[in-house]
Amino acid sequence: MADFNWRTINIDALDPESAYNFDLSTLTPTVQPTSTQDVQTLNGQIRQLLRGGNAEGALRGGLENVPYGADEQGKVDRICLYLPAFPGPPHDVDNRMSQSNPPNRDVALTATHIQIRGSELCDTLMKYLYKGMGQGSNTAAHPSGNTGAGGRNLTPQATGGFTQASGRNFGGGEGGMSVFLSWHEKLVEMVGPGSIVRVMSDRRTV
Amino acid sequence: MPAPEVHHLFHAPIADHSFSADRSTLAVARDNNVELYHRSGNAFKLQDELRGHDKTITGVDIAPRSGRIVTCSQDRNAYVWEPSQNGEWKPTLVLLRINRAATGVRWCPNETKFAVGSGARIIAVCYFEEENDWWVSKHIKKPIRSTVTSVAWHPNSVLLAAGSTDGHARVFSSFVKGIDERPEPCVWGERLPFNTVCGEYLNPTAGWVHDVAFSPSGDALAFCSHDSSVTIVYPSGPEQPPQAVISIATQLLPFASLLWSSETEVVAAGYDCGVYRLSGDANGWQLTGSLEEKKERPGMPEQREESALNMFRSMDLKGRSGGAAMDDTKLKTVHQNSINTVRAFQESGGQIRKISTGGVDGRVVVWDV
Repeated sequence: MADFNWRTINIDALDPESAYNFDLSTLTPTVQPTSTQDVQTLNGQIRQLLRGGNAEGALRGGLENVPYGADEQGKVDRICLYLPAFPGPPHDVDNRMSQSNPPNRDVALTATHIQIRGSELCDTLMKYLYKGMGQGSNTAAHPSGNTGAGGRNLTPQATGGFTQASGRNFGGGEGGMSVFLSWHEKLVEMVGPGSIVRVMSDRRTV
Repeated sequence: MPAPEVHHLFHAPIADHSFSADRSTLAVARDNNVELYHRSGNAFKLQDELRGHDKTITGVDIAPRSGRIVTCSQDRNAYVWEPSQNGEWKPTLVLLRINRAATGVRWCPNETKFAVGSGARIIAVCYFEEENDWWVSKHIKKPIRSTVTSVAWHPNSVLLAAGSTDGHARVFSSFVKGIDERPEPCVWGERLPFNTVCGEYLNPTAGWVHDVAFSPSGDALAFCSHDSSVTIVYPSGPEQPPQAVISIATQLLPFASLLWSSETEVVAAGYDCGVYRLSGDANGWQLTGSLEEKKERPGMPEQREESALNMFRSMDLKGRSGGAAMDDTKLKTVHQNSINTVRAFQESGGQIRKISTGGVDGRVVVWDV
């Protein structure tokens, strides 16, 4: 008994009431678990739509079937899918060219696309925008991949068939971020700061 | 509609405020003390100060009939202040037996009990026990998972709604044997022992619930949460799914407090510094507008001739070339900072005619609804 150091007992772990034993994940709302497989299938369908030039349909499809329950890889796959899609149909040009895209073209595209939204879809679009903006800073700051963030590495292998468009820096380059910001501006004009607050406070992340 | 009555009391946040029954006394929580203001003419003058708490006061409520004031604070205590003959207020400590801060307190409609929400995941329902001449608390614990942010009473003084940061708004029964009469059966339930959960609601995003309120008849519940939405629940019966749960997602910043002004209208205010109205019924609700009139700013003149002289003069003096229209040092709303509490001020014919709001800017404003 004497060789047991009582001072190392973690008293909080033994107290059933303490904050240590409070499982925060029980506070999150229940989401349908979506397997990565389903997400991949849906991603494939969206890719088809994009290739066919139906950007609007592809966007709508992605907004209506949100991979809330999928694991991180599934979510990253989804957002990688969208990043090249945001300015419109994917081009086979590199980063520098996208910067010289006439800005009004992007804005006109966003205006048309945004007309068809419902409030729930707008919130989802806002979530994608923020996730995309966040991914950009990850790659820019840690080009070798950040193990602290779970080893997420936005290299072309995540999107498979999009090798052409993924030659571009996903949202990390200036071209990507300005597109996100212009979409963000248009969306906020439409739905107001309430949508941003909903993105921040919603426990279901995309 | 007539202009709102603004009382700019001081330059500090008001966590909670409450009017006495005749609306001549206003109790305002300011840091560790409660300041009592008395109406003289059109303004309120400081009359008394209730000192006793060691930390910030988070809740104040004046009981309309008996005139007792209950205060709760972050020092885990609550005091009940009784008015005495010579105008002094006598505090009585209430042992809440919580080990975290108290977040809000409300008297029940028949003034025999009050409920205190706390960060200890507990609601303390306190009543006065005659034999011991002491206020005693009973705890409602299950199934609250996180801090209780607000409490609201049903008109029958037994049902209690509580909003919490775990994203749920719940309705409990706080029936205390010996203090309460057996309540009439209602849509929330019939035989209701203490700590029965009559309903548990959350909205899809599960954001923190800032405020809850029962409708005047008690048959519907409204709560506003941090995802900028207001949810109205119409229960159909005990143990049955509700008749309707309607969630309105607004384009504004979240609401911090709300109040039913009639069976079909809710008045809410929050981080947008303005008061808004929502109306509807069991079939649907929508945001109908703000209580403030759309104009530039109270007291600002309309278009002014912008002469070149004025433009250059203001560029020299103030560093901007705008002139009157570009004076953006004040908000366009009456409150200059977020609104914390909305309370009923005047009622007639079952409908609330005037409401009072208190905010972080130190103003208490009385509005016509």
